[in-house]
Amino acid sequence: MSRAERRQASIFLAIVFIIGGVGTSIAQTMSYADAVQQLATACGADLRKYCKGVELGGGRLKGCLDANQARVSPQCQETRLAVYASIARRAAAQRDIGDICSADINRLCGTSHADAHLVECLVSVAPVALSPQCNQTFTDTGWRTERAQQ
Amino acid sequence: MKPHYISAAAAGIFALALTAAVAQNQLSSGQIANSLAGVTNDARLDMTAVQIRQAVLDNIRDYPGALPPRPLSFPQLANLAQFTVEVEFDFNSAAIRPESYQAVGSIADALHNPILLGYGFLVIGHTDSVGGRQYNVGLSQRRAEAIVAAMVDPFGVNPAILQPVGMGEEQLRDPKHPTSGVNRRVQLVNIGKKFCFGRSGEQFACP
Repeated sequence: MSRAERRQASIFLAIVFIIGGVGTSIAQTMSYADAVQQLATACGADLRKYCKGVELGGGRLKGCLDANQARVSPQCQETRLAVYASIARRAAAQRDIGDICSADINRLCGTSHADAHLVECLVSVAPVALSPQCNQTFTDTGWRTERAQQ
Repeated sequence: MKPHYISAAAAGIFALALTAAVAQNQLSSGQIANSLAGVTNDARLDMTAVQIRQAVLDNIRDYPGALPPRPLSFPQLANLAQFTVEVEFDFNSAAIRPESYQAVGSIADALHNPILLGYGFLVIGHTDSVGGRQYNVGLSQRRAEAIVAAMVDPFGVNPAILQPVGMGEEQLRDPKHPTSGVNRRVQLVNIGKKFCFGRSGEQFACP
């Protein structure tokens, strides 16, 4: 890689990082930690009032917030929809990426393994080289930004 | 509404600037994942969750008292890659408190990290010493199951890789302060490869 290419690559990474850090665009999913932290913050008072003692798992908390959607604060209502949409989208991407990207991986890395090498393969190629659907799914998994931070 | 958005944007920029500094104090999913992957253990645990539960009950029977006279030790677990997270639950309940949602979310992020793909984990619940020892085994079992339930729904972790175990107060982290919050925790232990992957990406139980 030439110096100019390296500079270009680092500018590109910087832009990706800034968008990833500040953006609230729907093109990104949140980490699960950030997602539920936002829920706890935006819905804290409503959770204490309407869902005290309700378990986070097994769909119980989501069910409680759904049942009380007419009563919770507008801020909680807005946040809970965004949070659960982000969680569902990230979980689906992490579950389905092996299938969605199998042709890309086969074409670009000469393997169809849906194991840990999948991520090695996908980070090693430029996003434009991936099919749009595989690229979006990979973004949704959060693994691209996680890897950049390591 | 407008000031809210402006302050959110400002907070975003501020958070970005502080990322490096904050990362030290916050529970990071990368740190959890690396610790859980730490030992490249293809050594598998030669004990089942059922046997561990039995050992916990045997310890209460063999070493009775208001507090465990000595911590229950599992040399088989000590060598495995693991990570411990403090999680707050409602009193006498398996409901995770909202203050701990972020910590639980970090566990989910870590379990989805590709470096942990295919591994299985014990999810061990520990209580403090408030309440009877026998009761606390049941309480910590329900809490470990609540963590697993949250991992599965909403966070989409495969339930087949997680085994909940209640340790009660048999392994206090700070025996000198048995009611301290540091004792109330969830311990994740990597028990080795659970799933292997075939040439076309299909999953199967490792031989």
